[in-house]
Amino acid sequence: MDLYKQFCTAVEASGAVLLECKSTADAVAYIAEQSRGAALVPVSASLERVDFAGQLRSAGVSLLAVDRSQAAEAAAGVTSVCFAIADTGTLVLESTPEDVRLATTLPTRHFAVLDRSKIVADGLAAVDSLRRMHQQERRNYIAYITGPSRTADIERVLTIGVHGPKELHVLLLDDWSSDHLEM
Amino acid sequence: MKERSKAYQARIDKALSTPKLQQALHQFGDAYLVSREKAFAGLDFDKLRREIGVMKDDVRENQARYLQQFIENAEAAGATVFQADTAEDANRYIADLAVKQGVKLTVKSKSMASEETHLNKALEAAKITPLETDLGEWILQLSGQRPSHMVMPAIHMFKEEVAELFSKETGQQEPADIAHLVEVARQQLRQGYLDADMGISGANIAIAETGGIALVTNEGNARLATTLPKTHVALVGIDKLVPTLEDAAKVIRVLPKNATGQALTSYVTWIRGAVPCAEGEKDLHIVLLDNGRSRLAADENCCETSRCIRCGACANVCPVYQSVGGHVFGHIYIGAVGIILTAFFHGLDNAAEIVKACIGCRSCVAVCPADIDLEGIILSLRETIADKEGLGSGKSLVFRKVMRNRKLFHGLLRAASVLQKPVTRGERTIRHLPLFFSPLTEWRTLPAIADKPLRDVWPQQNLVKPRKTVALFGGCANDFLYPELGTDLVEVMNHLNVQLTYPLEQNCCGVPALYSGDKETAVELAKQNIEAMLKDNPEAVLTTCPTCTMALQRDFIEHFKDDPHWRAKAEKLAAITVDAAGYIVNQLGAADQFVDLPLAQKVTYHDSCHLKRGAGVWREPRQLIETSGHELVEMEHADRCCGFGGSYSLTSHPDIAKQILGDKLKDIENSGADCVAMDCPGCMMQMRGGLEKNDSKVKVAHTIELLAAGLRAAKAKQD
Repeated sequence: MDLYKQFCTAVEASGAVLLECKSTADAVAYIAEQSRGAALVPVSASLERVDFAGQLRSAGVSLLAVDRSQAAEAAAGVTSVCFAIADTGTLVLESTPEDVRLATTLPTRHFAVLDRSKIVADGLAAVDSLRRMHQQERRNYIAYITGPSRTADIERVLTIGVHGPKELHVLLLDDWSSDHLEM
Repeated sequence: MKERSKAYQARIDKALSTPKLQQALHQFGDAYLVSREKAFAGLDFDKLRREIGVMKDDVRENQARYLQQFIENAEAAGATVFQADTAEDANRYIADLAVKQGVKLTVKSKSMASEETHLNKALEAAKITPLETDLGEWILQLSGQRPSHMVMPAIHMFKEEVAELFSKETGQQEPADIAHLVEVARQQLRQGYLDADMGISGANIAIAETGGIALVTNEGNARLATTLPKTHVALVGIDKLVPTLEDAAKVIRVLPKNATGQALTSYVTWIRGAVPCAEGEKDLHIVLLDNGRSRLAADENCCETSRCIRCGACANVCPVYQSVGGHVFGHIYIGAVGIILTAFFHGLDNAAEIVKACIGCRSCVAVCPADIDLEGIILSLRETIADKEGLGSGKSLVFRKVMRNRKLFHGLLRAASVLQKPVTRGERTIRHLPLFFSPLTEWRTLPAIADKPLRDVWPQQNLVKPRKTVALFGGCANDFLYPELGTDLVEVMNHLNVQLTYPLEQNCCGVPALYSGDKETAVELAKQNIEAMLKDNPEAVLTTCPTCTMALQRDFIEHFKDDPHWRAKAEKLAAITVDAAGYIVNQLGAADQFVDLPLAQKVTYHDSCHLKRGAGVWREPRQLIETSGHELVEMEHADRCCGFGGSYSLTSHPDIAKQILGDKLKDIENSGADCVAMDCPGCMMQMRGGLEKNDSKVKVAHTIELLAAGLRAAKAKQD
C-alpha cells in the first residue's frame, strides 16, 4: 500500500476527520464552515505564504490574538503541519513557539493543514527530520499528534475529548510546502 | 501469623469477594489481547523486543556515560538537572523549589515516579496543592486511593463511584454517564492549568543524544501542564534513559501497542530545554530519580528488570492480577514487574508477601516488550526473601531433611499411600479431608497416592530390535500419583518400537523447593537427577510433566553456571531432554503412527504454562490428538493457567488458585468437549479435581493416555 493511502486509513482509524482539498480556498471554506466560533491562527511560514489568516477572516472567521488570556476562549486552532507519519496517521508539529501549543491544546477543535507529499513511513523514518529539528533549534517542543484527545480511564470505555481538542481535522493539500521542517 | 501476612490475606479476601472487579479485569484482559494482536499485525514482536532488550542492557552497562551525556545536553538547552538518590531527596528538591517560587498550586500529569516517591504528600506538607489532571489519577486523588494499574490507574473503579466523587466536587448531582463524567473533568480541571505556577510531569523516555524527554500520553493534560505554568518539573527515573532518538522511536513503537493495544497514543511530546513560556522562557527542572534503580541494575539476578519500559502488560495478562487486582498484587508498582520494582524501590518487606503471589505461569514473560524473564527474577527474589526470613520450619524440614534423601522421601510417600486409606475409601481420589485439612478438598478433589508407584510396576519390555532406547524422567506426580500415565507411555513408545527405561535413582526435579526459595535443596536434587538420568547414556530423556522439563532443560544449567564440571553434565542432560509429545512428533516424526484410532471423541486442549511458554510445545499435542481421530475443539483462553502452581494451590494461595481454576472450568464446559486433554500431571490434578467436584461429565486425560487408550482399543478390535 502506498504511504498516502496508508496514512489516510490510519488517520481515520485514529478518530480524526480527513479532507482532501483541491485548493487553499477549499480548506478555508471548510474551516469557515466547521470552526463554530473564534479561531487561533499562530504564525507559520506556510500559512503566511498564502495569507491563510487573511483568507479565513475574509471567509467570515473571527480570529483571536494568540495569547493566554484569549486562547482559552477560542473554539478552533488552525495550524500547518511539518510532516506526517503513515503507519499511525500521526502529524508532526514544531511546537516550540508557545502560540502553536496554545492553539493545539486549549480549543475544542484543531484544523491541521498538511502537504500530501510530506509523509514518511513510520516512527523510525521520522527520526531523520526529528533529529534535524533538534539540530536547528537549541530548545524544542515537538508534538506528535494522532487523532483527538482521548481517555479510557473510566471503565476502559474509549471517550473522545478529555483535556485536549475533541476534534482533529486533517486538511490535505498539494503544493503547500515541501520542507519537512517547515510549519 | 505475622501482622503483615494477616493484612495481606485480608486484602486477598476482600478482592475475591468483589466479583465486579474480577469481571472488569477479565473483560479488559480479553479485549487487550485482541487489540494488541491487531496493533502488532505485520510486525515481528520477538525481534522488536530483543532489540529493546539489547539497547536497554547497553544503557545499564554504560549508565554513567549516558547519564552524563543526558545531563550535559539538558543543561546546554537551559534545563536545571538534579540527581536524587532517594525518594526523599527528590521530594525535598521539588517542594523546596515550589516554596522558593511561591507556588500555591501545581498541576500534575500522570507520573508513576511521583507515586513511587509519594510526592503529593510531600507537597501538601509544604502547603502546596498538587492537582492531578490525568483523569484516572484525579479520580484516585479525590477518593484517596493509589493506582491499581500502571497505565490505567483507576481500572478498579466504576462509573457510579466516579459520579459520586465528582458530585461532591461540583456540589451537584452528576449522572453516572461516562461521556458526561469526562466532560465534568474537562471543565473542572481547565482552570487549574491556567492558575498553576508549576507543572509536574514524569517522562516515558529520556534521550541522552538530545538531553530531552518524551511523554507518551492520550488525554492532552501533559501538554497543558508542560505549557501553561511557568515552571516545569519532570521527575524521571534514571532507567528511562535511551541513547538516541532512534532508540526512543523503538520504545514508542512498542509501548502503546503493548500497554493498551493502541497503535500510538494521541500525543507524543518531545521536550528539550527551556522552551518559550509567556513573555520569557520556561524554568525547566529535571529531577533524575535513582531510589534503588542503581542497586537493581547492579543486582546479578534482577538486573534485567532495568529494561522495563512500564507498559503494564505483565499485569494485563496475569491470571493472579485478573483475580485480585493491583491493590493486592502490587505495592505502588503492580503486576510481575511491580513485585521486583517494589523489592528495590520500597524494600524487601513490602515485596515479601506479593513475591509469593506469582503463580509462575509465565504469561507475563510471553508479552514482555523488553524480553525480561520476569518469572525467573521473581523466583530469585523469593530465594532472597526466604534466606532473610526463613522458609518456615515445616517446609524447611521437608525440603532439607526429606526430599534430599530419596529413599526417605519415597519411603514416606509409600507409607502415606497406606495411611491415607481411611480418607480415600479405596477410591483414586480424595473427596473430603478431615479437620483443618478440609479446605484443601472443598473445591476440588485430590488424587490419592497410588498403591504402587510407577517404579514398582514398570513393565517388562520385549522389543526385538528397538530403534531407540530412551529414559523416562517421571517426576513425583507421574511416579506416585499417576503411575498409569507412565505405563501408558511405555505402550505408546513400544508401539513406535522405542524401548523406555526408568532409572530408579531419579528423585524430585527440585522445582517445589526452588519455587519456595530453597535453592540449596534444588541444587542437591539436580545433582542426584543428573547422575541418575545420564547413567545408562540414553538417547533421549522423556518427560510427561512440563515443570520437570523446564527443570531439566533450563534450571539445572542455571544452578551450575559457575561450576564447569556440573554445568557440562547439566547441559548434556538438557540437550537430550524432551517432552513426550514433542519427541513423538518432532524427533521421531511419528505422528502418522496414530492415524484414526478408535474411541474418537470431542477433545479440547489445555496448554500447560511451562509446556507452551517454557518448552515452546503446543502444536505437537494438538497434532497427535487430531491425527488419532479426535475432533479438536478449542476452548477460550486455552493457554491461560489452570491455577495449580504446585504448592501455590495447596498451601500458599489456595483462594486465588480456586478462582483461576473456576475460570478454566467455565472455558472447558463452554467448549462443549467430552474430554479436556493436556500434557501435565499438575494440571490434570487441578482440573480433574475441579471437574469431579462439580460432578462434570467432562473427562481429563494426558495426551499420552489418549494415545494409549486408542492403541489398546485398536488392538482389541484386531484380536
